Amino acid sequence: MVVRRTLVVVAAAAAALAAAAVSLALGAVDLPLSDVIDALTGSLGEGSTRQIVLELRLPRTVEAAAVGAALGVAGALLQGALGNPLASPDVIGVTGGAGFGAVLILIVFPGSIALLPVGALAFGLLAAGLVFAIAWVGPDAGGVGKLILAGIAVGALFGAGTTAVLTAYPDRVQSAIFFIAGGLSSDGWRELEIVWPYFAVGFVAAICLMRPLDRLALGDDVAASLGVRPRLIRLIAGVGAAFLAAAAAAIAGLLGFLGLVVPHVVRLAGGTSSHTFVVPVSAISGAALLMAGDTLARTVKAPIELPVGPFMVALGVPLFLLLLRRAV
Amino acid sequence: MLAVAVAVAVMAPLAQAAPKRIVALTPFTANTLVGIGVKPVGIGQTLGGQKRLSKKLDGVRTLPLSHPNGPNMEQLARLNPGLVLSSPTWRKGAPTMRSLDIKVVMSDPDRIAGVAPEIRKIGKVVGRRKQARKLAASVKADIAAARKGIKSRPKVLVLLGVGRTPFAFLENSWGGDLVSEAGGDLLTAGLDEPGGFARISDEQVLKEDPDVIIAVPHADEDDIPGITKYMRDNPIWKVTKAGQNDRIYISNDNSLLQASTDTGKVIRSVRSRFLKN
Repeated sequence: MVVRRTLVVVAAAAAALAAAAVSLALGAVDLPLSDVIDALTGSLGEGSTRQIVLELRLPRTVEAAAVGAALGVAGALLQGALGNPLASPDVIGVTGGAGFGAVLILIVFPGSIALLPVGALAFGLLAAGLVFAIAWVGPDAGGVGKLILAGIAVGALFGAGTTAVLTAYPDRVQSAIFFIAGGLSSDGWRELEIVWPYFAVGFVAAICLMRPLDRLALGDDVAASLGVRPRLIRLIAGVGAAFLAAAAAAIAGLLGFLGLVVPHVVRLAGGTSSHTFVVPVSAISGAALLMAGDTLARTVKAPIELPVGPFMVALGVPLFLLLLRRAV
Repeated sequence: MLAVAVAVAVMAPLAQAAPKRIVALTPFTANTLVGIGVKPVGIGQTLGGQKRLSKKLDGVRTLPLSHPNGPNMEQLARLNPGLVLSSPTWRKGAPTMRSLDIKVVMSDPDRIAGVAPEIRKIGKVVGRRKQARKLAASVKADIAAARKGIKSRPKVLVLLGVGRTPFAFLENSWGGDLVSEAGGDLLTAGLDEPGGFARISDEQVLKEDPDVIIAVPHADEDDIPGITKYMRDNPIWKVTKAGQNDRIYISNDNSLLQASTDTGKVIRSVRSRFLKN
């Protein structure tokens, strides 16, 4: 079992490194590999090659890695905390809220377009906050069923709001398509500068929760007897996942699929559900998958860029189905 | 006497076939109709305002349009039209219109070369062939005049909507074709996507280094300063010649989005406002 896990970790790390290298090396403009390396090591003078590598490809590769890792970890946290294999950032309303916030800026307030990541982040967190507020009040406070139902209801509410905005401004829908379809942009470091604290909080929470989540997997009563407070762990995991997923949506739009599938792939490949394994390997695998998907999305029809969502599905689903077939 | 009788006999069915109550959903069809002496009973609400519509259309009932059908079918039926001049944009609504015994003709050119033939087509449908031929010839002459004396061909990137990486107009879009005809060297030349728009890599923008960037943001006047500032602050665009020379412009009407009979006027406007050629 240890050998198998080690192999999975090595394979995931190798895939992430390879995806990062390819992401930096390939783009709409053909650049010699030596120029890319020179630009990265600082030995290339000023010019468009340096700009392309350092101001376009490098931030985009880092964004893809951060968003992929965040969604993978968010999914692992939620699936572990809720004990539900279908849990993903959609379940706690983050995706619906972030989508509404972004569409509001893009469609209704296009003059405030610079606030796009802030809008997505704020509404993503607001939606998650509403879900937690509803789920933690009244009978069965903090119960899994109540949390999931609240998430579905709040997600539907924001989804309806998004549809209403799109319907009210049919001539402006084009502006929102790429956000809804999910995709990264070459926008330098601006967006990461806004959202990195939320990533940091989410990742720190995930690290702290790895062992408590393993105890929670034994059932609430057993976990409580081991000194864990199940509802508190669920709340912290939910908040951490909300921070990660909202920050990811602020940068890359709506990419919920990744958060759902990556933890399952990791569990099936590693043959374990231990969160000390699933959480970090989901981060590495999510980063690898999104970097690879984004590279495909911006090179397949270069210089035309395509949404990354379908490419991630094309890469992730066959692997997931293969592992699922072997597991059953 | 016999010749007159024959002529009357031949013309009578044509006159009957020409619908009297016509709804024109696009600015192109609405302006074409009044240009050939036919006043429609309804027109479609034009995206980006009604500024380009002929004064002769003042007072004509305006129908709000929404995806995917176009007009509300109850409002349309209330006008009791015999003919709707529609657009492929509202194609999905055509079967319902036909089920209401309304004849539907699609006419919305997406290339400048299509303007004159489409005018003649409308003339044929509404029984005004001669007037349509005259209008088509006039529009063609105006386009040719508007293109005269092009002194320079700046490299141009034309963008649709707002966002971190907006869609770019391709050659096979109305706006792309129009900017090319006005003397712009389209940055997206050679690219072809079915819809006429595609998201273009910023690497390509940096490599091609456009002289002019024109954005069509679909926004209210109040939003323009914010959008302009956002575009000028874009770290990639601001290092291009367009950014360096303060030649990032906003086009906030629908002239680059929808065809009309004022094509020559729009070409002159693009040349003087944006291309300065």
